[in-house]
Amino acid sequence: MALNKERLKSLYRDMYLIRNFEELIKEYAANGTIPGFVHLSTGQEACEAGVVRALRTTDYKYPDHRGHGAILLCGTDPKYVMAEIFGRATGINGGRGGSMHVHDWSCHNHGFNGIQGSTCVTALGTAFAAKYRHTDDVSAIFMGDGTLGEGTCHESMNMAATWKLPVIYCLINNGYAISTPSKEAHPQEELRQWADGYGVPSWRIDGNDIEAVVEITEEAVNLARKGKGPSLIEFVTYRWQGHFAGDPASYRPAEELEYWKKRDPLILSKKVLIEREGVTQEEISAIENEVDNELQACLKFTLDSPWPVACDALTHVYEEFSVEARQ
Amino acid sequence: MSRVITYAKAINEAMIQEMERDENVFILGEDVAKMGGDFGLTQGIYPRWPDRIFDTALSESAIVGLANGAAIAGLRPIAEIMFADFAGVAFDQIVNSTAKMNFMFQEEANCPVVIRAPQGAGIRCAYHHSAVVESWFLNTPGLVIVSPASPYEAKGLLISAIRSDDPVLFLEHKVLLNAKGEVPQESYALPLGKGVIERDGKDVTIVALQLTVKMALEAAKELEKEGIAAEIINLRTIKPYDEELIAKSVAKTSRLVIAQEGPKVGGWAAEISAMVSEKYFEYLEAPIQRVTCLDVPVSFSPVLEDYYMLNAADIVAAAKEAVSF
Repeated sequence: MALNKERLKSLYRDMYLIRNFEELIKEYAANGTIPGFVHLSTGQEACEAGVVRALRTTDYKYPDHRGHGAILLCGTDPKYVMAEIFGRATGINGGRGGSMHVHDWSCHNHGFNGIQGSTCVTALGTAFAAKYRHTDDVSAIFMGDGTLGEGTCHESMNMAATWKLPVIYCLINNGYAISTPSKEAHPQEELRQWADGYGVPSWRIDGNDIEAVVEITEEAVNLARKGKGPSLIEFVTYRWQGHFAGDPASYRPAEELEYWKKRDPLILSKKVLIEREGVTQEEISAIENEVDNELQACLKFTLDSPWPVACDALTHVYEEFSVEARQ
Repeated sequence: MSRVITYAKAINEAMIQEMERDENVFILGEDVAKMGGDFGLTQGIYPRWPDRIFDTALSESAIVGLANGAAIAGLRPIAEIMFADFAGVAFDQIVNSTAKMNFMFQEEANCPVVIRAPQGAGIRCAYHHSAVVESWFLNTPGLVIVSPASPYEAKGLLISAIRSDDPVLFLEHKVLLNAKGEVPQESYALPLGKGVIERDGKDVTIVALQLTVKMALEAAKELEKEGIAAEIINLRTIKPYDEELIAKSVAKTSRLVIAQEGPKVGGWAAEISAMVSEKYFEYLEAPIQRVTCLDVPVSFSPVLEDYYMLNAADIVAAAKEAVSF
């Protein structure tokens, strides 16, 4: 199913935003401005953009540790996302979480967890709450091929399938759990086959084809909204960077990366826009310029933002108790 | 109206009254619905609210994880872990999600989860069904840990736990489930984070929790025969614990004994001891005494289990040691 021109243009903008947002993150992580470490999703933008755009604001979204892309599209102003990743007071979470814990309840972005598989069971709860209250909101989890090794992932699929909970497992198979190829960690030819054991419908699709990502995610969302229970989508894709920004990824062959760079989801999408939809290069450049300007404004906002006040670390540990300050 | 009921009945009644009050309260766990719980603590709830109590697979991580997600979405889950020992299976969920959601979601949302779990030694069921687990979780900011000692406390503290916007690990002692006591019929809430003086005394403070409260009271009777007046503190909540109550008592008695079920090394008694040593050293006239179980797994055979466990005589000996200085 082909998406219409306006939707495709909008998705291209989303992917371009993710790509270039993360280029800035990469640069400022490398020069030491961003504390700690970051995981980049470069090469996987179609999965992030396609899934989030198949959902609505009230759906519960669980971006993973490589989730800047999804987080940027859930509804939070990107400047507050960037400031969070830089650890600034103006970050959406006041600098408490950083890259792996950027979340925003107002748009039901639960990007809270840095531990693989954990969101699979948390999402059972939001899916349960939706069902308990007779709403048709769904809970969509981003997970990787590595996540399938976690017991929580399987407890979750078993319970979601048994209770027909509206959960969508978005399995982004980029081939590696840090350095370990998925074929060395899992016996299946196709990772989606895990779902068969739980009686959960599943698909395996090209994760770099934005139209396929949107189409299949919408199908899964419709099933969940209608009370048909969970489903799993395996998106086959590749991360251009190593596990974290700065990881040379010497564990994988160079020709693999070259192959996947030719399958850049942005290039594939641009080709469709120009060749099938008749969009001009000028129109595309206009989109790109607008995003570039927005990102420069985000960066200025972030770099101008103060660090948090140190004693903010004491707040909200408890709702009903206070915590002793440093003497 | 007050009447005598068991600790188990008090827990059951607290859940039922809170379910009557708030339709967001629901229960999930292994065998909690149709069977009414492995220890019968959820009896009578499924027939009344079949849509608000759920039997799950044997999936402690999923039980706690589901509770976390439902709580953040505005419900008030009570997750039962059949034996507190099995909280180990859900450890990541409890320490990394339950405990941290308030912190991360700040004022936007909170995590009003209650995780109920029967704990403790004394029912001859060996090392996978006998642990007390307060100390497993004591080093986790964000959690409230409650260990009621009587039916009255069990009901009033569980009601507070369910109403609290903080996540509460509510630990019930298996040996106390059939203990009887006066409990008001009507709903009431006891404050979390507050202990009580069970008995006044001027010579030595004995800090106790849950099962050791009764032991400490027995010890106090023995000590009285020898002219030693022990003041007994029942902490009720071990995280955050009632520092002010302990400090006031030690200011009066100058001697501190801490009676803790569970292994000694890294137990909560060590925390209380360290806190008093650091902050209130000038009150003390004797070394702090910890009375605990041994640093071994719990055995099955009664002879072995009883040797592991502390008792009132151990507390008497420690208190006499403290007043000898």
